[in-house]
Amino acid sequence: MALKKAAAQATTTDDERQRDRDLDGLVLALADADPLARRWAARDLVAYPTATTALIAQLMVESEPSVMEVILTTLTRIGDEQAVIGLVQCLRSEDAMLRNAAIEAMKLLPDEVAPMMGRLLADADPDVRIFAVNVLESLRHPQVENWLLRVITDDAHINVCATAVDLLGEVGSEVAVPALRALKQRFTEEPYIQFAADLALKRIAAG
Amino acid sequence: MGVTLKRILVIDDAATVRLYHRGILEAAGFAVSEAINGLEALERVAEAPFDLYVVDINMPKLDGYGFLRELRSKDIPQAPAIMVSTEAAANDQKLAYVSGANLYLIKPVRPERLLAHVLTLLGLSVAPRDPHQGRHQ
Amino acid sequence: MMEPTTISDDEFQKFREFFYRKTGILFEDSKRYFVDKRLLERMTLTACETFRSYFTMLRFQTSGEELQALINAMTVNETYFFREEYQFQCLVNSMLEEIVAQRTTNAPIRIWSVPSSSGEEPYSIAIYLLEYWPHLTRWDVEIISSDIDTQILNQARRGLYTPRAVQHLPASLLKKYFQRDGEYYQIGTELRDAVEFTRVNVSDAADMRLHRQFDVIFCRNLLIYFDDLSRKQTAESFYDALNPGGFVCLGHSESMSRISSLFRVRKFPEAIVYQKPWGSR
Ligand SMILES: C[S@@+](CC[C@H](N)C(=O)[O-])C[C@H]1O[C@@H](n2cnc3c(N)ncnc32)[C@H](O)[C@@H]1O
Repeated sequence: MALKKAAAQATTTDDERQRDRDLDGLVLALADADPLARRWAARDLVAYPTATTALIAQLMVESEPSVMEVILTTLTRIGDEQAVIGLVQCLRSEDAMLRNAAIEAMKLLPDEVAPMMGRLLADADPDVRIFAVNVLESLRHPQVENWLLRVITDDAHINVCATAVDLLGEVGSEVAVPALRALKQRFTEEPYIQFAADLALKRIAAG
Repeated sequence: MGVTLKRILVIDDAATVRLYHRGILEAAGFAVSEAINGLEALERVAEAPFDLYVVDINMPKLDGYGFLRELRSKDIPQAPAIMVSTEAAANDQKLAYVSGANLYLIKPVRPERLLAHVLTLLGLSVAPRDPHQGRHQ
Repeated sequence: MMEPTTISDDEFQKFREFFYRKTGILFEDSKRYFVDKRLLERMTLTACETFRSYFTMLRFQTSGEELQALINAMTVNETYFFREEYQFQCLVNSMLEEIVAQRTTNAPIRIWSVPSSSGEEPYSIAIYLLEYWPHLTRWDVEIISSDIDTQILNQARRGLYTPRAVQHLPASLLKKYFQRDGEYYQIGTELRDAVEFTRVNVSDAADMRLHRQFDVIFCRNLLIYFDDLSRKQTAESFYDALNPGGFVCLGHSESMSRISSLFRVRKFPEAIVYQKPWGSR
């Protein structure tokens, strides 16, 4: 026994990719009983932007985290409006893992997510608003500071405001100072808001 | 100092929250480390387990529930965990306890509350250091 | 003929996006000078007077020859023997022990070193196994090593090294596995026969699909050049390239915790590595 030169190609009989690699074949494979086959289908579907609906449908029922992860990566790579709509749907899921994974995916799609931001930040569910602020973190968009200022000025929910202040510490400019001061007034009894707003003010002052 | 400090791991994806918790706990004389998600926390734990964990729920890669489930299944000295989250729903609280949390606090947490619970869970009657003296903010 | 002299901002953007899509490598603005210089060199060599004509060739040439030449020019190949040696110690003392303990067949153990660069890493693995893994008497081991850069792969196959590349090798090992060739060190047949080199772009699903059933993957100092999405995509491909229980070793400044949740962190005395859970599929 020793070091051996290999044929690089794995000789494998259990080829999970045996189904046709066209759109219909791949969509079928997406429901295969074998997670490995599902992952390969989800990966290969990147070539078919029209597959977003099927990918999202599978995402909602998928129980295997590894398949979920690959589906989300493909949706991110496709990254069109349909894909983003699907990701937004995931924010309302009961499944924390799916929600957090969708937020991560959305962070990688700033341009596609930006048009929906206004609506998400006005959502009736505070959790969805918090998730929306989380997504803002990576959005290199001229509107980001304005959105955040609107949140800390108008949003009644303390944790939505708290999440927005965290971010203002990074992206805030002089423009944010009055709103941050007003926020401190609005939540005088909340040490966390005082702490986070002071930190943001300090960072803005330091330039 | 002769005694070794109790080590606390603060796990949260929001930098400001980590800083806030760190400030409170360090002022009271604890040694604080940070992790930005559940996976990074498990990496820290692999290096050396902690005396207490302060865990957020919603985080990328591995959320707070997932972290606690993994932590609790490990064959290492176990330590109390406080779950801290924005979610007030009863279902989230239940899930937190089922995952292995010892306590569930709703954000934002007041310093004196966090500290009181940390002391109780660690079985201490007073903080290792008086947090009001020479508080560094 | 006029020599091309500059690349405009828009052209740089366009090129950057294209190259990123093809390779996963994202050039920051700070790399602008480096990128422009390489592009202009290739344009001169291919007699393209404008960026536009060069870019058209790059995108539509069916052989992909120019894209490959450009990739060769753009990649950073720095590497040396016994770099981050603690991981090789971890391989022979811990990872392989766990893998053979779980094995039910005596199929060869497969190790993938990607990217190979000029071969120092896969040959280091071979030396480590030959020297420090006693079970090599009972198991066959295949080492496959891959890179996107065809020129560097040829160099790896040739196995001719500068004194600098081998400076961390103990003198006894240098003597045992290399022949002095003037100023250079030439690997002997034992090492040459131990490693199979292949061309792989880790961002390309078709390439990745041909590389499977590995027990350990070394992927060091590649993902740092990638952006988040490409890192994640590569990690997911590795997951499917591994047998259950298989390990991924990253470079010391890279952490899977920020890339993908598919793997579990494993702490061994020598190193922290990442594992595809036993029993997963
Ligand atoms: C700095 S070297 C790392 C060599 C070795 N693994 C080490 O750590 O010393 C990086 C290598 O990555 C290769 N590379 C860059 N992009 C790649 C890709 N998409 N697929 C495969 N290899 C790639 C480059 O050609 C280069 O040889």
